[in-house]
Amino acid sequence: MRGLAIRLVVIAAVAAALALLPFGLSDYHKGLAVRVAIYYIAIVGLNVLIGYTGQISIGHGAFMAIGGYTTAIMSNYHHTNLIATLPLSFAISFACGIAVGIPALRLSGVYLALATFALAVSIPQLPLKWSKWTGGSNGIRTHTTPTNEWLYAVSWTCAALAFVGAWLLLRGRTGRAFRSIRDSELAAASSGVSLPIYKTLAFGVSAAFAGVAGSLFVLVTNGFAQPNEFGVILSLQILIGAAVAGLGSLWGGLAGALFVGLLPEVSTSVPLIGSGHGQDVVFGLIVILVMILLPNGVAGLLRTIDSRFKSAIKSDPTAS
Amino acid sequence: MLGFTRKTKVSTGASLPVVLGIVAACVFLAIGSATSDIFAQQTVAGLAQGAIFGSLALALVLIYRATEVINFAQGELAMATTYIAYQLTLWGLSYWLSFFLTLLISFVLGIVVYGVLIRPVQHRSVIALVIVTVGLFILIDGLVTWKWGADLKFMPAPFGNQVYHAGGVSFARQDIGVLLVSILSVILLWVLFQFTKLGLAMRAAALRPAAAALVGVRVDWMLAVGWGLAAVLGAVAGLMTEPSVFLTPTMMQPILLYAFAAAVLGGLESPAGSVIGGLAIGVFLNLVGQYVGFATSELRLPIAFFVLLVVLLLKPTGLFGRRQVRRV
Amino acid sequence: MGMKGRLLAVLTVLAAVAAVAVSAAGGAVKADPGVSATTVKIGGTFPLTGPASLYKTIPAAEKAYYDYVNDHGGVNGRKIDFTILDDAYDPSKTVPLAQELVEKDKVFAVVGSLGTAPNLATWGYYNQRKVPQVLVATGDSYWGFSWKKYPYTIGWQPDYPGEGKLYGKYIAKNMPNAKIGVLYQNDAFGKNYYAGLRVGLGAKKSMVVDAESYDATQTNVTQQIIALKSKGANTLVIFAIPTQAITALVTATKIGWTRDATFVGNVSSNRLFMLSALQNGADLSNVYSTNYVASQTTQKNLPGVKLATQIIDQYAPSLKANYDLGDANIMYGLGVAWTFVNALQRSGKTPTRAGLMKAMHSLNTSKNPFVYPGIKLQTKMTKKVHDNFPIEQEILIKWTGSGASADFQPIGKLQGGIR
Repeated sequence: MRGLAIRLVVIAAVAAALALLPFGLSDYHKGLAVRVAIYYIAIVGLNVLIGYTGQISIGHGAFMAIGGYTTAIMSNYHHTNLIATLPLSFAISFACGIAVGIPALRLSGVYLALATFALAVSIPQLPLKWSKWTGGSNGIRTHTTPTNEWLYAVSWTCAALAFVGAWLLLRGRTGRAFRSIRDSELAAASSGVSLPIYKTLAFGVSAAFAGVAGSLFVLVTNGFAQPNEFGVILSLQILIGAAVAGLGSLWGGLAGALFVGLLPEVSTSVPLIGSGHGQDVVFGLIVILVMILLPNGVAGLLRTIDSRFKSAIKSDPTAS
Repeated sequence: MLGFTRKTKVSTGASLPVVLGIVAACVFLAIGSATSDIFAQQTVAGLAQGAIFGSLALALVLIYRATEVINFAQGELAMATTYIAYQLTLWGLSYWLSFFLTLLISFVLGIVVYGVLIRPVQHRSVIALVIVTVGLFILIDGLVTWKWGADLKFMPAPFGNQVYHAGGVSFARQDIGVLLVSILSVILLWVLFQFTKLGLAMRAAALRPAAAALVGVRVDWMLAVGWGLAAVLGAVAGLMTEPSVFLTPTMMQPILLYAFAAAVLGGLESPAGSVIGGLAIGVFLNLVGQYVGFATSELRLPIAFFVLLVVLLLKPTGLFGRRQVRRV
Repeated sequence: MGMKGRLLAVLTVLAAVAAVAVSAAGGAVKADPGVSATTVKIGGTFPLTGPASLYKTIPAAEKAYYDYVNDHGGVNGRKIDFTILDDAYDPSKTVPLAQELVEKDKVFAVVGSLGTAPNLATWGYYNQRKVPQVLVATGDSYWGFSWKKYPYTIGWQPDYPGEGKLYGKYIAKNMPNAKIGVLYQNDAFGKNYYAGLRVGLGAKKSMVVDAESYDATQTNVTQQIIALKSKGANTLVIFAIPTQAITALVTATKIGWTRDATFVGNVSSNRLFMLSALQNGADLSNVYSTNYVASQTTQKNLPGVKLATQIIDQYAPSLKANYDLGDANIMYGLGVAWTFVNALQRSGKTPTRAGLMKAMHSLNTSKNPFVYPGIKLQTKMTKKVHDNFPIEQEILIKWTGSGASADFQPIGKLQGGIR
């Protein structure tokens, strides 16, 4: 009970901080905060797939492209309300995720990684071919562009919904099924968990989250969708975020999102390195170091510290 | 030892339908080239390009076989070593001296990358390995752009600019040179693997590390040498790419993507397969681009990756792989 | 607390976040940022890296000219502070950089940003925020024709469709046996050039036997060049950015394709690029293009060229080597910067964004020392007249000579009405 109380207090504190943040941020930094929220949504989605179900995807940028183009096209051609495009992106990406998840049942490990990578490379190229409807490399834009304040409110609300949604999904029967598949497919199947159903479901949910993130990504890029936005790098950034965060932790995703969303910005102001491509050097180095030094990401580090702290308290006779 | 012979078979043993398919494809290309100059021209250009895909794909396969790593930084390593060669020519060294010096430097670089970056995470998840190589990708890109800038650079033409004519087909000396150098490096590597003690030890270390260690093979060193050789192949690919697209930090990125497709097509475990896969993809893309109106330049990459997806779904081990791989 | 209670608590907190965050929306916008008592802050996005990075001498030359002006008292006592950002010619990167320029750096105006797709990606944003997006380094007709919807955007150079038209007319008139093969970039830039060519050919459109496209990120165009040759083309028209244009010229020679003529869009016809192509084995006989800036290699005695040489020597010595080899983009950058300074001088004692646009819409000068002699910069926006194209003249040029003296030489006279 006390654990829950602490947790609620933490949630409330984070929520309050996020709600108050826009008052203290410049327009530009609000835009950055929106990007963090977007990365968070995508990372939570990827985490459902990799961290909880044990399936790899290095192609989630493809689902972001699907969501992003859904929003841009609906808004451009039909002047659909921007908020209304979000559930639509969710649904379409979910369906695409299922469609990818079914053949993915045949693959695992490196082969699944390569197959999803193929998606990350190919899907964003397709708008170039059908440029009549998608604007090709000129891109396509939404009929209105929201302000950064609007974006901040909407994206962080979505991020909160993603958190709650993932939490609810993962704490129940479905979550148990996911985790049992991750730990051992054989054991899961023999205890009555349907591998095809749950593995495809994980793909669908994860893709749906990525789709919404993609929609918001287009909106924060001033309502502009263009194939290069969803390049391989985006897929890899989400993956990096998820791994830095520590797979299998919803909270950790926030650290991952801050990492990929803010590190390039921060590293431009590092003296000596400055702007330009020095930031790539810093980013690459830190990614490698984190992976080598923190096997379970930031969340794992926090867990370790937490348990050391607890055992320290236990071994201290005066503490009880 | 029994284990080794069985595994050796895996690397070269294609099933009968695959062999027949390849023979049929060769016959098709020969007849096509004999009847149409343009077909021949596109085939030659495709082979030259495909040889480069093949050598980079082979580098990927070498590393995968040795350490089960999909090296996303392979293309960037190749690019970086090409810049090193460029720097050597700037210092006044001749092209071919720079070429061989660069291969040496690449070998050392590959070993260092393995020892410093890969070994610490080698026994972790596929994801950890993927991300470390992605980090390396970004790091190399940043370092090269920092040092040399991102604008187009030109190296001396290694094969000269002559053009030969045979019938209605023109062969650039450069294309022939690229093809020969790539194929030659692949053959040399094959000889090294198949007929030397070092090659045997490397294969043993990759396939049966525990058993190899028992008979006195220094497994870690052998894996490192695998990385070194892969870097050398990458350098060859980079240097052979430079004459057709010139030197920029992004020059190997599209090539790496095609190399992935080639490696999967041939079989991630099969060195010979990856080279044939590279040649096949190079020729296939050029012919499709020439004769299929729908396949415009935008679809080059998606087509290559569609091939990759189909192969993965129908025969994940590729055309030349036999072993059913299941790693969870 | 039961399960429902917990959930309720979480949802309540989240609702509160949303409510507070929404209420945070709003806030006043300051008028005309970027202008202080001593400086005018401007910026632009350019491809310092990536496929179009051969253009990176343009912003460097612009900066050199601003430094020169700053050392001579600035503009109405204010120094020009020019921020150069790298978008690698990738429109998806341009958008966040535009946001950075406007929201973080708070620039007064965005000057000379390069590329059709990058500018198309951002003009909605700039106009929505009423930030001048002036003298964009792209020659599409959008910049001239869209003043109603995008009043804060204006171009500088002659437009691409007009240039394509020029080639079309020239071929239709002088090359009756031409079979044209076109290599174009698969975006608005390449397609509009190509459309212009077809307009210029008029009734002889059927001279085009094949057109092949490439994507800006693909540097290898071998397959396309072989395809063009295979369709029997004897005249190659290249509407490409420099890397692909150079590669195309080299590849065409390499596959043994002898042509009657080759036309290269002026965005790639820089002497420096031609020298690179030559060095890599390209045959440049009968290569045509157009030009509208002064040439530091063939017009050494022009006062503008002398001034340019002096500025480059003093303020941008790192450009010197390129400049001496005839990098026309350096002259281009100086010409753009000159035009901006000219307009800024006429934007009022304390410049305003509206004032700057008014000055941009009333250019009328033949004094720009860095453009081709005889070219007049002219715009006029009244109720009846809507001329939003600063430069509308070009001269046809042809690659002539060999060795160190090989260069583009003009053919005929300046031609007007390029739009």
